[in-house]
Formats: sequence, structure tokens, C-alpha cells
Amino acid sequence: MQPIQLFELTSKQAHWLTVRQSVIAGNIANANTPGYAARDVAAFQAVLQGTVSRMSATNPGHIREESLRGSVKSDSVQDGIEILPSGNSVALADELSKTGEIKRLYELNAGLVKSFHRMMLLTVRR
Amino acid sequence: MADPLSLASRIAGSGLQAQETRLRIVSENIANAQSTGETPGSDAYRRKTIGFSWELDRATGASRVNIARLGVDPSEFDLQFDPGNPAANEKGMVKMPNVNVLIELADMREANRSYEANLQTIKQTRELVSMTLDLLRAQ
Repeated sequence: MQPIQLFELTSKQAHWLTVRQSVIAGNIANANTPGYAARDVAAFQAVLQGTVSRMSATNPGHIREESLRGSVKSDSVQDGIEILPSGNSVALADELSKTGEIKRLYELNAGLVKSFHRMMLLTVRR
Repeated sequence: MADPLSLASRIAGSGLQAQETRLRIVSENIANAQSTGETPGSDAYRRKTIGFSWELDRATGASRVNIARLGVDPSEFDLQFDPGNPAANEKGMVKMPNVNVLIELADMREANRSYEANLQTIKQTRELVSMTLDLLRAQ
């Protein structure tokens, strides 16, 4: 039987979403910091395909590296219009809509886990 | 490795704190917009300023906000003719504080808006946490 990978996948996505939430929270907190460039996490698909190289932990004593380390980058600047005279490039409206998107995806994620869990319980109960 | 969600609320909390301090500075400036010196020719109240800086969280790449420096505005004082004022010099001129109330009000609006955005982030993060905890509840 094929191993069931849905839980692994959803937990990976939940982790990606929570890291993204903390990065966006950092952007919003720094909306008035001079010289701060807005950051974002790489797309989930890119993270999932493992385009970022990292250290592997083969022993419990090894340092466990954050799996999304290296995927957080400052947004690329298109034409420089979004940069304020203070050097800050945070657009508050953009960041708030991103948190809305994160919430929506997280809701979907939690709902999927819930329904999958219910399905597993159904098979066990009989 | 810290939980990214609690990190998110801590970061938004640091934003709230920074904007609170900024509001305090603004209110100090507005309250002292007319505070002159007490002896003839002495300096008036100097406008206070606040600067922010960011501090990167190495593990996740998110950054909290810090107050980098509290300074004073070095610009010139306005001179006003008011011979009856105890701070008037021999020509009757009084140094008035270099506070521009319009600028302070604009600053206050901005601080207000950023405070709201941070508050919104905390609310949003709390919802994510409660969605996660909901998974544990009886189905």
C-alpha cells in the first residue's frame, strides 16, 4: 500500500504559511522603518521542489536547520516607485491583503486535515 | 526553533510598542508647542524625534522593529516679538519651540495607521492559532 502523504504535505504547507505570516508581520511592524525592504517567502511550489540547498541533520545532536531558511528574500524592485524617500518599500495595503490570503489558505489547509482525519476515523471505527 | 506563529505575534507586538513610543513623543511635542525658556534669551523646548531600525530573526528571516534612537530636532528656533515674556532677550524677542503642529499631527495619523495594521496582524495570527487548535477538538 502506498504511504499516505497528505498529512506530511499539509503540515509542510502549514509551516510555510506560518513562516510567511511571521515574515509579513515583520513587514507590517517595519512599515515606518527607514531603509527597510519588504520581504516575502518563495512560492510554496518552489520550496516544495527543494530548489534551495540546505544542511541535512543525520544525528539528533546536529543543528536542525529551519527548512525555509534561504527562501525569504526581499521583494524585487520593479520601477522604484514603491520605494519611499526614506528607503522603505513596504506597501501596507499589499501586506494586509497577503495576510488575508494566508488566512484563506490556512483555513483550507486545516479543513483538509480535519476531513482527512474524519475519513481515517471512519475506516477504523467499523 | 521558535513557533513561527508566536514569533509573528511577538513581531507585531514589537510594532505596537514602537508606534506607542512614537505617539508618546508626538504628544510630548504637541504639549510643549508653546514652552519657552525661563531666563532672558534662553532656549525654548526642542522638538524630540524618534528613529526605528529592524532586527532580523536569523532562523526565519522575519524582522522585528526596534527603536534605534531618541533624538532632538537641531533646527533653528522661531523668533517672536514678545517683550513681556520672561524669556525675551534685550530686543524683546523670544525663542519659540521648533515644533510644527501640522507635522506632529501628520506623524500621529501615520502612527495610528501603523498601529492599526499591527493590531490586525495580531488578530489574524490568533485566528490561525485557533484554527490549528480546532483540529484537536472532537470531530
